[in-house]
Amino acid sequence: MRNAGRLRAAGLYAALAIGLVFVAGPFVWTLLGSFKSDAEIRQEPPTFLPLRWITGNYAALFERMDVVTVTLNSAVVAVIVVASNLLFCSMVAYALTKLPFAAGRAVFGLVLLQMMVPAIVLLIPQFVTVASLGLADTYAGIVLPGLVTPLGVFLMRQFMADIPDELVHAARVDGSGEFRIFFRIVLPLCKPVLATLGLITFMGSWNAFVWPAVVAQRKEMYTLPVALASLSGRETVHYGLLLAGVIVVITPVLLLFVFLQRYFVQGVATAGLK
Amino acid sequence: MKTYTTGSLALLTAGLLLLTACGRASDGAAEKPKDVDTSAKATGTLAVWAMGSEGEALASFVKKFEAANPGIKVTVTPVGWDVAHDKITASIAGRSTPDVSMIGSTWMGELAKTGAVDPTPGNLIDKAAFFPSAWDTVMVDGTAYGVPWYVETRVLYYRKDIAAKAGLTPPATWDETKSFVKGLKKAGAAQGMNLNYTTGSWQEILPLIWQQGGSITGPDGKWTFDTPETVKALAWQRSYFEEGLASNKVDPASFPASFFKGDVAAYFSGPWMIAGMEKDGGPGFAGKFDVAPYPKGSAGGTSFVGGSDLVVFKDSRNRDAAWKFVQWLSDPETQASWYTTVRDLPSVQAAWQRPELTADKRVAVFGEQLKDARTPPPVPTWDQIAKVIDQEVEKVALGKSTPEEAAKSIQAQADAVGTGL
Repeated sequence: MRNAGRLRAAGLYAALAIGLVFVAGPFVWTLLGSFKSDAEIRQEPPTFLPLRWITGNYAALFERMDVVTVTLNSAVVAVIVVASNLLFCSMVAYALTKLPFAAGRAVFGLVLLQMMVPAIVLLIPQFVTVASLGLADTYAGIVLPGLVTPLGVFLMRQFMADIPDELVHAARVDGSGEFRIFFRIVLPLCKPVLATLGLITFMGSWNAFVWPAVVAQRKEMYTLPVALASLSGRETVHYGLLLAGVIVVITPVLLLFVFLQRYFVQGVATAGLK
Repeated sequence: MKTYTTGSLALLTAGLLLLTACGRASDGAAEKPKDVDTSAKATGTLAVWAMGSEGEALASFVKKFEAANPGIKVTVTPVGWDVAHDKITASIAGRSTPDVSMIGSTWMGELAKTGAVDPTPGNLIDKAAFFPSAWDTVMVDGTAYGVPWYVETRVLYYRKDIAAKAGLTPPATWDETKSFVKGLKKAGAAQGMNLNYTTGSWQEILPLIWQQGGSITGPDGKWTFDTPETVKALAWQRSYFEEGLASNKVDPASFPASFFKGDVAAYFSGPWMIAGMEKDGGPGFAGKFDVAPYPKGSAGGTSFVGGSDLVVFKDSRNRDAAWKFVQWLSDPETQASWYTTVRDLPSVQAAWQRPELTADKRVAVFGEQLKDARTPPPVPTWDQIAKVIDQEVEKVALGKSTPEEAAKSIQAQADAVGTGL
């Protein structure tokens, strides 16, 4: 019995290890590549470990781009977008699931419809709106279209629908107002899905490229991916430099994932079950 | 590496044209440029957008201009090539354009048609100073918008050492090219020549059409792709694959490593490859390759000319200063010094006489080639047409279509798209 269990565990770990190689491989290659010279990256056959470790790519990155400013911009934008999504998406979801609300289904339908519109179609209308509000080249302009996302509303609604209505009713009978119920009872039960939503919107905002690139008019307002993209030429690409930039971009996301991993897995697992 | 055209282009353009259709005169008679007041001292701040290495280097380069023109302050914003087209079209729609921007030379038709670009003032800019082929990139419907900033043209790159081993000199004609590549193959270059048949391959097919005296537009301005010249150009490129003189089986990403290794011993490309080859080829590689003008077809050795143009937007609040800045950037001395900064080839002919340009013999080959080079017509729909050509070239190269079918198909699709004028 015990041997069979061990065997199964060993098999499981072996399968997971193979999966890990496939998932982590590109990241490891990126990390190693950021320490190679351009000539070595282009070399055939490709090398895995750098033949000669160089830090020149990082030095060049910090010299050619104001890493501190653009990282700060990315962070400000991400924090605002994440906080706003957590608050407002769950508020909408609360209204849709826990309040008697005649147009609820229609509103939810509109939200779903929104998810089907490709972002690129909205680029010019959104920019015209933001520019005529005088918000081009401001944080406000960059975050505005992302403050409440349809995906966030969808995710929160699916999760909240499973929270027993009796809890809410009981609180109402006890005389709680809706805000109190929302903040004290419903929201604490949503922790796993909030972590999921937080991570998804953080990644979305952190990686966003076209929109911030269009709204920011000076390089002082650039976010990380935008600043990084301005480093590659039309016909030539400095792969080493870009790989170093990619490492700078993905490290915070990886760290966040490590910290929120427990909630994240739980949130995705339960949001998928209906 | 042409990644600056996105799939969303058509949609964006359509949206943009709709948005700007109202309130701006964008059709009818040719637009008349307004003169720039050269007597008054221009002042103000200028917002300038530039892409890639130009965007990075320009910020410190403009110090000289600011010193010579107290009262004008220039702020350069570097814009990534990937997003530049979207950003400029969005800024036109949102009426938040910069004063001056660099643009890809094939975007001119589209941007000029929005009515947001200022026609070039004839009293400040002398068109005769530029290469005529480069000037063509700023002419839309009889009006010049902006100036050509720098040019690039395509020539033949080859492995000097392998050619020497085979006792070959660079080919002068189409037929010589084949025997040249055969010789290179015999001397060890297993893949022969690298021919682009994927994204951007239109830049290799158009020269082949022009070199037989063909043209992709008729006198009425309509597309003429279904011609014997187009069929011959496609068939000629395909024959390299069929005869094993070029490979359509290897991963395109294996180039240019395959050139360093010597599997590929020749290819057509632009001036940026000189620096790329010297940097990535490893020690001693700089002496192992050379460039030669395009081999001639029945009507000559016309190459493709591309590059970037500079435009001033009508919404600029400091129009005089903006044009003075553009004039300064197209001054021969500035152009030569800009060449030493980012290796951009001058669009102004006089700059080529300066020592900065004459020092490298390989650069002179580009200078010669520029005298016989053409640009596709600067029409608003060019990027769509280019994509159509790319797709059909790939089908022919992979044997999924014949040159005749491809020429017909390009014609049909191009007719459906139109020129947008």
